[in-house]
Amino acid sequence: MKKNWNRIVLMLLLIAAFTLTLAGCGSGDKKADAPKDSNKKEQVLNIYSWADYFDPKVLAEFEKANNCRINYDVYSNNEELLAKMQAGGAQFDIIQPSDYMVTTMTKLNMLEKLDHSKMPNIQNLIESLKHPDYDPKQEYAIPYVWGITGIAYNKKYVKDPITSWADLWKPEYKGHVILLNDNREVFSLALKKMGKSNNSTDPKDVEAAFNELKKLNTNVLAYDTENNKQKMIAEEAWIAQMWSGDASFCNFDNPSIEFCVPKEGTLIWADNMAIPKGAKNKELAMKFLNYIYDPQISARNFDYMKLPNANAKAIPLQKKEIVESAILKNASSHADKGEWLHDIGNAITMYDRFWTELKTGK
Amino acid sequence: MKNGKFLIAPSMLWLGFFFVIPMLIVVAVSFAARTPYGQVVFDWNLNNYIRFLEPLYLSIFAQTLLVALVTTVVTILMGYPLAYYIAQLPKRWQQPGLILCMIPFWINFLIRSYAWVIILRAQGVLNTFLLKAGFIDQPLQLLYNEGAVMLGMIYSLLPFMILPIYVSIEQLDRRLLEAASDLGAPPFTAFRKITLPLTMPGVAAGTILVFISSLGMFVVPDVMGGAKSALVGNLIQNQFLSARDWPFGSALSIVLAALSLLLIILYYRAIQAQNGGAENAKNVA
Repeated sequence: MKKNWNRIVLMLLLIAAFTLTLAGCGSGDKKADAPKDSNKKEQVLNIYSWADYFDPKVLAEFEKANNCRINYDVYSNNEELLAKMQAGGAQFDIIQPSDYMVTTMTKLNMLEKLDHSKMPNIQNLIESLKHPDYDPKQEYAIPYVWGITGIAYNKKYVKDPITSWADLWKPEYKGHVILLNDNREVFSLALKKMGKSNNSTDPKDVEAAFNELKKLNTNVLAYDTENNKQKMIAEEAWIAQMWSGDASFCNFDNPSIEFCVPKEGTLIWADNMAIPKGAKNKELAMKFLNYIYDPQISARNFDYMKLPNANAKAIPLQKKEIVESAILKNASSHADKGEWLHDIGNAITMYDRFWTELKTGK
Repeated sequence: MKNGKFLIAPSMLWLGFFFVIPMLIVVAVSFAARTPYGQVVFDWNLNNYIRFLEPLYLSIFAQTLLVALVTTVVTILMGYPLAYYIAQLPKRWQQPGLILCMIPFWINFLIRSYAWVIILRAQGVLNTFLLKAGFIDQPLQLLYNEGAVMLGMIYSLLPFMILPIYVSIEQLDRRLLEAASDLGAPPFTAFRKITLPLTMPGVAAGTILVFISSLGMFVVPDVMGGAKSALVGNLIQNQFLSARDWPFGSALSIVLAALSLLLIILYYRAIQAQNGGAENAKNVA
């Protein structure tokens, strides 16, 4: 009997281990649940942001200069950020919601009003980001990284250059296209193809877009937001709906990858710096914002990230090969083709229904 | 007995705080509604459950049940012979055999899924080998389809079938088989009349573990299936994230939990019936 007990215990342990690993992959980072002060004297700045959104050296210098510690945790989409903030318990000093999420958070009264007089460096934004319609006066959020959604393609496989969203429907691309695994992005693609606004809440438009997407489904290899870069670099796919910054990243690794700004128009996005209501270290957070938008610091930070910078005074100080890289330059010059996504309130339920149906369509 | 009660207090408190209360919250939220910005308002209605009955969502449940069923059947067909083989090994080889089945668990599940991607993708290990060896002249599309999802499910859940079956085979009284042989039963008859009925509890335990785990799976369809076909797990995940509809997500979770509970009850019923059956088998032998 004793021996059997050993086996059963072994088995239970196994099951426990399995459920743990399963649970572990669902959420982003466990640490984010409980950022805590281990050392009372030292201040801790809790940043909750996207992955790889800072040069670690730039953060280390701020820690040194201000005798504080930065706790940098990451999420992979805006909804994760919102869910964690709404679930409560977590304390952050700086968060980076994207455009439409700024609207949501402002409406839910979750963001602190920013005192511009204490942060002179935050006023150096590039022209196209000075008055974004989600927060035209930067009362709550300051654009940090921005980009547009376009089409990345590998010219080794795609012989005719891609110029429009409509090109994705071509039968010869069957099974070679990756779309973002994001409801709004994918519908935006179809709505733009039909010449509609990507914020349409008219059920007729959304349904028409759904029917277009159903046709496109035969060309779709996968829906992927997190590993679409790897899929393109490894040449698993020929074509991908992709953010300009990611496309530039792919191009540095695999020069056959080109980027197109679709002629029908597209969406423009920006990830912003914001301070959540009730942040414990508001003063330090403001100091950090002023620091991170300092032209010198910002230039180094963005040279490291190789993403489009929103800070006009920093761009001339950046390395030429990054600012002048064809993809980023192309994206920058087409910023006017982008339409911001808005929070569409209850219409999201309708979008979600079609999105679910798209994923069940045979 | 009475004096021992305080010993269970910590676990009861633990369960109360981290299982019962969260569960009650989920039940409560499932009767709520969402605001335009995704907040939960408690207005006690059944709308979320009514919405679940729409054909769209029922079809996703049906699809999920089908995938779970196929996974379970395949893991039984693969797991039983393997468990039997390990149980027949000399004693000192059994432990290493089991450990080999478990080694994959030492690596995070998500990473193992990506390992499959690296093996199966167009420029992956398998396709490169087949191309170089001249078996194919075009890479095979092995990923991002239903087959890949099934493969991922079976791969990740197979050990849950092997272990309980192994335990039940290991416990089998070999003297019964010797008696059967002495009485002239050919090996297959002995297996069918003795081994199989007496190891059924292990198969049932494995079935319940595999079936219920596969109902909630959402990583495999995302990573290996290319997020193209949604299962219930993905649907629930979407409700809590992009759709910002916690009430509907909660209702779906409750339905899924109720379904699992029903299966467990059926399992216990079956075990009880089986115990009767096992006694019969012993008597026959």
